[in-house]
Amino acid sequence: MTITLYDFELSGNCYKLRLLMNILNVPYAIHPVDFFPGREHKADWFLRLNPFGQLPVLKDDDLVLSDSGAILAYLAKKYDTSGQWFPDDPAVTAEILRWHAVADDISATSSAARLALGYSYPFDIEKSQKGAHRIFRILDEHLWFGEKAGRDWLCAPAHPTTADIACFPYVMLSEEGGISRQDYPALRRWTDRVRRIPGFMVMSGIFPAGPAKT
Amino acid sequence: MPLSLSDPTWYPIASSEDLPFRHVYHGQLLGRELAVWRADDGNVNAWENRCLHRGVRLSIGINEGQELKCQYHGWRYANRSAGCTYIPAHPADAPARRIENRKYPVREAFGLVWSAANDDQRFAPFPGAEGHDWFALRPVPVNATPEDVLAGLSRLAPDDQSVEFIPGRAVTLGSARFFVQPVDAARSVIRGILPEKPADEIATLRYYNEQLTKLRDSLERAAAKKPAPEPLQPVFEKVSVELSTMPDIAVPRGNTFPVVVKRKWQSADGVIGFELADRDGKHLPTFQPGAHIDVHLPNGLVRQYSLTNGPGDLMRYTIGVKAESASKGGSKVLVETVREGDVLAISEPRNNFPLRRDATRTVLIAAGIGITPLLSMARFLDKSSLNYELHYFARASQTMAFSSELDVLHGRVDRHIGFTREAIKAKVAEVLGPYQFANHVYICGPGAMLEMVQATAAALGWPDDAVHFEYFQNDKVIDASSAFDVELARSALTLHVPAGRTILQTMREAGLTVPSSCEQGACGTCLTGVIEGEVDHQDVYLNKTEKASNTCMMTCVSRAKSGRLVLDI
Repeated sequence: MTITLYDFELSGNCYKLRLLMNILNVPYAIHPVDFFPGREHKADWFLRLNPFGQLPVLKDDDLVLSDSGAILAYLAKKYDTSGQWFPDDPAVTAEILRWHAVADDISATSSAARLALGYSYPFDIEKSQKGAHRIFRILDEHLWFGEKAGRDWLCAPAHPTTADIACFPYVMLSEEGGISRQDYPALRRWTDRVRRIPGFMVMSGIFPAGPAKT
Repeated sequence: MPLSLSDPTWYPIASSEDLPFRHVYHGQLLGRELAVWRADDGNVNAWENRCLHRGVRLSIGINEGQELKCQYHGWRYANRSAGCTYIPAHPADAPARRIENRKYPVREAFGLVWSAANDDQRFAPFPGAEGHDWFALRPVPVNATPEDVLAGLSRLAPDDQSVEFIPGRAVTLGSARFFVQPVDAARSVIRGILPEKPADEIATLRYYNEQLTKLRDSLERAAAKKPAPEPLQPVFEKVSVELSTMPDIAVPRGNTFPVVVKRKWQSADGVIGFELADRDGKHLPTFQPGAHIDVHLPNGLVRQYSLTNGPGDLMRYTIGVKAESASKGGSKVLVETVREGDVLAISEPRNNFPLRRDATRTVLIAAGIGITPLLSMARFLDKSSLNYELHYFARASQTMAFSSELDVLHGRVDRHIGFTREAIKAKVAEVLGPYQFANHVYICGPGAMLEMVQATAAALGWPDDAVHFEYFQNDKVIDASSAFDVELARSALTLHVPAGRTILQTMREAGLTVPSSCEQGACGTCLTGVIEGEVDHQDVYLNKTEKASNTCMMTCVSRAKSGRLVLDI
């Protein structure tokens, strides 16, 4: 197998795949795509790989895949020997896909605010920020009651799944979009737990959490 | 009532369960952001949310257990004191003592963590607080003024029940108490508590969460219809240039403070342990690994003892005293006459033996009572999960001090017992091995041991700056041939120091009382500020930078290069 990730270093969606592949210890090559300022993801050669003109794209031998959530599921089902990152159980699968959809909503709000503030995208900043706060409130409540019930992760299993990987980056990068996480203490504690997953790696703007108490 | 930056009221700023170990909570009170963290010893710290260095938020920093590490340049601050303990860009130096972060008063009680903008008011429990095991509800942040939120809470009361306002922006509704945390002019958090854990915990939490969420939504709808008040504008103290550039110039001492002997015990054969604590139960000043204190003894002598404490451990200083080293009667007085409950005067900690935390390999070599500073170093490295190995040489196992403290370390601790001098040398050579980049060795023990390790390390290619030790004596030949005048600025006296006499002797002959101890330029007791003139440093106490600063000197051995010195005495 030869995996190539079409990657932009500062993209949270690309980072999701780097993160999972690092955790699963899957070797991959990086093909850098100049998303900003070069807009290379709208170049002809890239549109042939993904007509939607969106990063990331992952090539596994001849198979070409796009959409970070879909690729997370593919990588977990194909390369995760533990079976924990995308379990077969129908209820858990539905739960994970539900949070993959939330992850897309977080991208549409938190990431949009970041693109507007840091990359001059013509998005409505205030609307994007409000949308992110609306999602973070629900996430915080879900995680707060999860802690009360002894659940550390977004989904029911006693271990992280691709749902946690999918939602994590644009939560962590929200400050770059002017979205404070001060009002979401349970969400902040969950980001500590994600950052302590063995094999965790950082990206620009996402810092390590330091070891847990032993 | 409008919000005031100087409001001295204690408000809840978090739930106890918001502060798990190794987490940094991001809080805010009256416009001021807070980094709130629980140390491994359970203590809760509430600090201004910015690193003194570059102003980065400490809430994104790393809680290392007993120190908080800034995410940006790795400055570390101690539990309780908020004093800076390590600056990675200056790995070989001890940070100046006065680098200390801004702290806010903090208390943990009734399931909540409380803080105040200043120290003007003592913490007092709310009416009816005592006698219950309070249970915290899910806090609900609201984007509305604290005043409106309080009014909204009072409307939650059923018509047949009266609403009781309690001091500190709080209401009683049935058995529950609801506090409004004034985050900022237009932001609040509702913090509710119940007098005990309900039978069906989750259902009760869900019920209150739903009620408060509905209240939040209606309050925020109302707030959106009127102009929001301007956010509070807290004034932050500026960080001085000296602070941000870290001077390592010695501050002349002489200042002592009293401590009480909390505990005195036999740590090993011939080694007595002492725990020294503040008389009022407050924390002691910040120290770094390798630091020592001066202990002023009842018989007038001053002796130096290394601290054995780990990071952020400031409720007591623990020292080890060798019972038989009765030179000049110093340790003898401590061992024989000082008892638990006695009060001693000590100096603030000073560090001539700083520990680098950027080594790829750290070797700690202790012999006998020399274990004390190295135990402290091992504890710091342990908490930061850094690699180290501690080699402890002793004549017999029963003479090994602080054994139980060494047992709980996670790193490699090798005890070498009853070795001959030759065997010790061979073991040291084996332990050190040929020098490799970024290796550092720290040695503490008798003079012969220091020399042997230095020579062995040098033979294996270890450079001087990788071999660290603390001088307990000055082996340099002192040149006392100069003659000069000293002007004592605060005593309004000018004295002539002839060749063959020291400044210290000359001052004493003139009737001045000047503290001293070793009188060979090793201990630091006679450290004196220099106002004018060029100093001829001959001590081993001050480091190169301190000597070059020409602002302080040791009057027991150092002299003048100029014809006249003006001293701050």
